[in-house]
Amino acid sequence: MKNKAIEVRNLRITYKNFEKTSIKNSLFRFKKIKSSDFVAIDDVSFDIEKGEILGIIGKNGSGKSTLLRSIAGIFSADSGTIDLKENSVSLLSIGVGFQKELTGRENIYLSGMLLGFREKQIKEKEEEIVKFSELENFIDKPVKTYSSGMHSKLAFSITAILETEIMLIDEVLSVGDQHFKKKSYAKMNELILHEDRTVVIVSHSISTLNDLCDRVMWIHDGKIKQIGEPKKTLEHYQKFMNK
Amino acid sequence: MKRIAQDISKYWNYMMYSAKADLKSEVASSHLNWVWWVLEPLCMMFIYAFIFGVIFDASEQYFSIFIFIGLTMWNFFNKTVTYSVKSVKSSKSVVSKVYIPKYLLIIKKMMVNAFKMMISFGIVFCMMIFFKVSPTWNMLWWALIVLTLIVCTFAISVHLQHFGVYVEDLHNALRIVLRVIFYMSGIFYNLETRVPAPYNEILLKGNPMALLLDSMRKALLYDQNIDWGILLVVLLGSILLGLWGINRIYKNENGYAKVI
Repeated sequence: MKNKAIEVRNLRITYKNFEKTSIKNSLFRFKKIKSSDFVAIDDVSFDIEKGEILGIIGKNGSGKSTLLRSIAGIFSADSGTIDLKENSVSLLSIGVGFQKELTGRENIYLSGMLLGFREKQIKEKEEEIVKFSELENFIDKPVKTYSSGMHSKLAFSITAILETEIMLIDEVLSVGDQHFKKKSYAKMNELILHEDRTVVIVSHSISTLNDLCDRVMWIHDGKIKQIGEPKKTLEHYQKFMNK
Repeated sequence: MKRIAQDISKYWNYMMYSAKADLKSEVASSHLNWVWWVLEPLCMMFIYAFIFGVIFDASEQYFSIFIFIGLTMWNFFNKTVTYSVKSVKSSKSVVSKVYIPKYLLIIKKMMVNAFKMMISFGIVFCMMIFFKVSPTWNMLWWALIVLTLIVCTFAISVHLQHFGVYVEDLHNALRIVLRVIFYMSGIFYNLETRVPAPYNEILLKGNPMALLLDSMRKALLYDQNIDWGILLVVLLGSILLGLWGINRIYKNENGYAKVI
């Protein structure tokens, strides 16, 4: 019996369409504005074991990213619980708020600290990050001078090399040019396949999910349509989408 | 309470680093760089001193320092409060990708503004030496007044941060309110003598900003006793208001990312 890393129970997340308001609206409209709820995740429960790699697939707007963000603690659940068993978690996505005036190196520290690392820990990994990002010549120049490719290379390197116990990956398996793409894909594999690491990947790429995942979850309109064997689930998904 | 202490110590390094980075990026691309932090308040002081000292013929003793103290404290309050309304939205790139207790954004900004305020107070003290203001024990109240200013500013900012997320045009209204407070606080005139009674009393007691400015000038410039009883009441009230605000942020902050 393996340990559970993530436990999700009866999770429900809604977006209210009329959350935002203006002073004029609240002062001059005495009628109560009817707010229509949009249910992004509806009564979802699942477990992820320690070291497991779970893929999530589904059409656009089916709630994949919402689910990922709520696991990362950015969204609150309207009802239900997410238990991370005190694991550290990071959402791997492009560019955790770089400060454009600062140099790449300073941004490494800033992002790292934001992810909850100590200055000392970052210092140890600093050279590795710089090396992996292939930006040795630019790392002490302000980020605003970077091209968009360099920008995403740096972002990828930071989150990939500062490792956490649970990694949430939202469609970032392709950054940079052909060469860096290959390299980052290899690095991803290495990270993901590390046996203690729990990974959740959201992707549209059937082949990626098929290669990497232990299980695949198919989400449709906020509900789990199917969860299990990657091959089977992906087959059903493809059939459904091609209809 | 425990959670607040935990969060602050957890993110302390980040806040310090980020505040330093903010200051650095502010000056990185300008020629005069940090000189601006001294130059800007100085120039403002000259402008106000000329308009109100020469044209409107104000007769306060040490009038230029009088104005400078006002501007120094006002700038801190004004900049922090203005920022707080838009703080969540303007940090979207951070807020939508990692969890961070949102009121820490305000504390970070307050560190930046407090640093500038300290430079400004440095200039105040230089001017006091230059104009030969004799040192007194009353000057020690400085610490309590600054503390009250900081806590009070924070307390107001956390609540504004929360409402700023949901109410789109709050910053427009806030601009007007701030302008009113600006004129009602006696930054470039003496509230006590210029405003007819009983309004001056009401303003001094009811507007914390006016009270703080007035106390600071009394303590630093005129060697008068300050009403530290009221100051303590304001400080205590601000602490409670601030805690209430933090509690409110904790309850609601995970909904912010859905709205912005």
